[in-house]
Amino acid sequence: MKQSFFGLLKKIIQTGIGKGRLLMATTGLGIAMFLLLLSIQMHTDFDQLLYNQQNQNESVDFLVINKKITNDMMGQSEKSEFTPQEIADIKKQPFTAAFGFITSNQYKVTAAAPGDLHFYTEMFFEAVPDTFIDVKSEDWKWQVGDNTIPIILPNDFLNLYNFGYALSQGLPQISQETIKALPMKITISKGLLTQEFTGRIVGFSDRITSFLVPGSFMEWANGKFGNGLTPAPSRVIIKTKDPSNPVLVKYLEDKGYSTNQDKLKYSKTKVIVQTIVSVIGFFGVILLLFALLVFSMFIQVVIASCKREIQLLVTLGTAPRQLQRYLMRQFVPLYIFTAIISLVLITVVQWKAAGILAGMNMFVSSWISAATAGAALLVIVLVYIVNLRSVRRYINEIS
Amino acid sequence: MQLQLDNLVPIPLRDKILQRTSEIWNQAVTFTPGSLVKIKAPSGTGKTTLVHYLYNIRNDYTGKVLVDGQPWDTYKKDQIARMRQQQVSVVFQDLRIFDQLTAQENIELKRIMLPNPYCTAEKVTEMAARLHVSHIMNQSGKTLSYGERQRIAIIRALVQPFEWLIMDEPFSHLDDANAQKAADLIAEECRARKAGFILTDLDHDNRFAYDTHFNL
Repeated sequence: MKQSFFGLLKKIIQTGIGKGRLLMATTGLGIAMFLLLLSIQMHTDFDQLLYNQQNQNESVDFLVINKKITNDMMGQSEKSEFTPQEIADIKKQPFTAAFGFITSNQYKVTAAAPGDLHFYTEMFFEAVPDTFIDVKSEDWKWQVGDNTIPIILPNDFLNLYNFGYALSQGLPQISQETIKALPMKITISKGLLTQEFTGRIVGFSDRITSFLVPGSFMEWANGKFGNGLTPAPSRVIIKTKDPSNPVLVKYLEDKGYSTNQDKLKYSKTKVIVQTIVSVIGFFGVILLLFALLVFSMFIQVVIASCKREIQLLVTLGTAPRQLQRYLMRQFVPLYIFTAIISLVLITVVQWKAAGILAGMNMFVSSWISAATAGAALLVIVLVYIVNLRSVRRYINEIS
Repeated sequence: MQLQLDNLVPIPLRDKILQRTSEIWNQAVTFTPGSLVKIKAPSGTGKTTLVHYLYNIRNDYTGKVLVDGQPWDTYKKDQIARMRQQQVSVVFQDLRIFDQLTAQENIELKRIMLPNPYCTAEKVTEMAARLHVSHIMNQSGKTLSYGERQRIAIIRALVQPFEWLIMDEPFSHLDDANAQKAADLIAEECRARKAGFILTDLDHDNRFAYDTHFNL
C-alpha cells in the first residue's frame, strides 16, 4: 500500500471539526464573489451600451458650449464671451478631447434669393475648424479671389422652414437638393465698403446650429471688413468621448454653461447605474471580508484542535512549510470551485441579459468581460494570501 | 555536525545540580562526530531533560547547546526541520507514536517526510522482521504495547539519514534478547551512515562498543 505524506497528514490533522464553519465561509465567499463580479460585469455592460459602435452612430460627440443668457446679462454681450482663462480651463479638462472656437462675423451680411424668388434677409456667418464639421463636401473650401462661398446650414433651419413657416404661409416646401442648387446672392459690407458673392449651400449640419462658412473666408472677410480686433468667442465647441460623463455635466453646471441637453441625458442614468453598481460592489466587499474572517476562524479552530499532533509532527521534523502547504491544499480547491461556480452563474446571467437587451435593440457581449474574469482571479489570490497568512501565524504560534 | 554543551544547567534543577558534580551539567562538553556516547544517569538527574535540550524541544536552561558552533536559538524553524529530517534523529522515552496511524504508517510518515526517502519500504519491512514486529504493522498505534511501540519508534528513527541519533532509554520496555537485536540494528545503521549516537540510560550495559561514557 503506497501512501503519500499528505495522505498521512490527513489522518493526523482532522479538518472535520470545523466543517460548519468551512461551509459558511465557502458560501459567504461564493456570494461575495458573485456580487463583486456582478457589479463589475454590470459596469462593463453599461459602458458597452453607452460607447459601443453598435449602440450609437458616433464614438465621440461634439458639444457646442455657450454661457447661459440670464436677465442680468441682457444688453451686455461681452458678458456672454469666454475669457482666455475660461477657455484655457475648458481646454485642460480631462473630458475635452479637442477644442475649437466658433468665430462670428464682424461685418454685415445680407442674402438674397436669385431670380423671382423675392427673398432677402440679413444674416450672420460663423466658422469652426473643419474637424468639427459633420458635413463632408468637396466644395467646402474657399480661397482669396473665389467668388463663390460654400455655406452649411443647420438641418433644424430647413425643418423650421419646411414644416413651420412654409406650411403656415402657403409657401412651397423645399428639398435639400433644391436648396443646394440655388445660388444665393450674398453681400457683405462694412460702412460703404461692400462686396458681392455667390453663396452655395453645400450641406446641412445636425451638429452645429449656425450658418457656417469656411474658416479661410471668415478670416479674410473679418480682416477686410472687420474692426481689426480679434473678438472673444461666445460659443466654443468641444469634442468629447463621453457627453454623459458626470464630471463634464457637473463642470458645465458649476460654470453656468449650457449645451445641447439632449446629449447629456445619459448622465443621470449613468449616475444611478453607477450608484447601484457601487452598492452591490460594496456589499460584495463587506461579505468578502466576513468570509475571510470566518475562514481565518476555521483555520484557527483546526490548528488549535490538532495542536498536540502538529507539535509532534514538528518535533519529528516536519517543516512548518510542509504543514502550511498541506493545509492550503485543503482550501485552494474550495476557492477554485467557488470561483468557477460564480463565473458560471455570471456567464448565465450575462447571456440571458444580452438576449433580453438584444430584443430591445441594445447590444452587450453575451460573454463576461475580461475584467470580470480578472476580478475572480484577483479575489482567489487575495483569499489565498489572507489564508496563507493565518495558517502561517497559527502554525508558528504552536510549533 | 558537532554537538557541544557550554555550561548547560536546567533552570528547574539548578539548585539540585549545583550541589553535586556532573560530567555533563555546567561543564564544557564536546561530542565528537561519529562517536558512540553513553550517558548514565540515575532517576531524577535530568536525563530526559538533557535529551530534550539536545534535540531542541525545550530551552529552559542557562548556558548553551552549540550545534556546529552556533546556539540552537540562532537556527530558524525551517533549518531546524531540515536538520531533524537529515542530520539528527531521536527515540524519545515516551515514544510519541501517533495513535491514529498504524505502526506501519507511523514509520512511513517519517520515511516519506523527505521527498526522496533515504531507505526503501522493503528495508522497513526487513527491519520490522528483525525486531519481530512484522505482525503488528497494520495495527493502530493506540493498540500497541509499550514494547511494540518502542521498537516502532526505533525503526522510525532509523529510516532517515542522520549524523547523530539521540536515544532516551531506548530499551526500557524490551527484554534482553529483543534489546540486543535492536541494539545490533542501531549499531549497524549508525555504521552505515558513519553516524554517532548519544544514549542515556539508568544502568551500565554492554550492548554497544561505546567510545565515551559520561555520568550525568
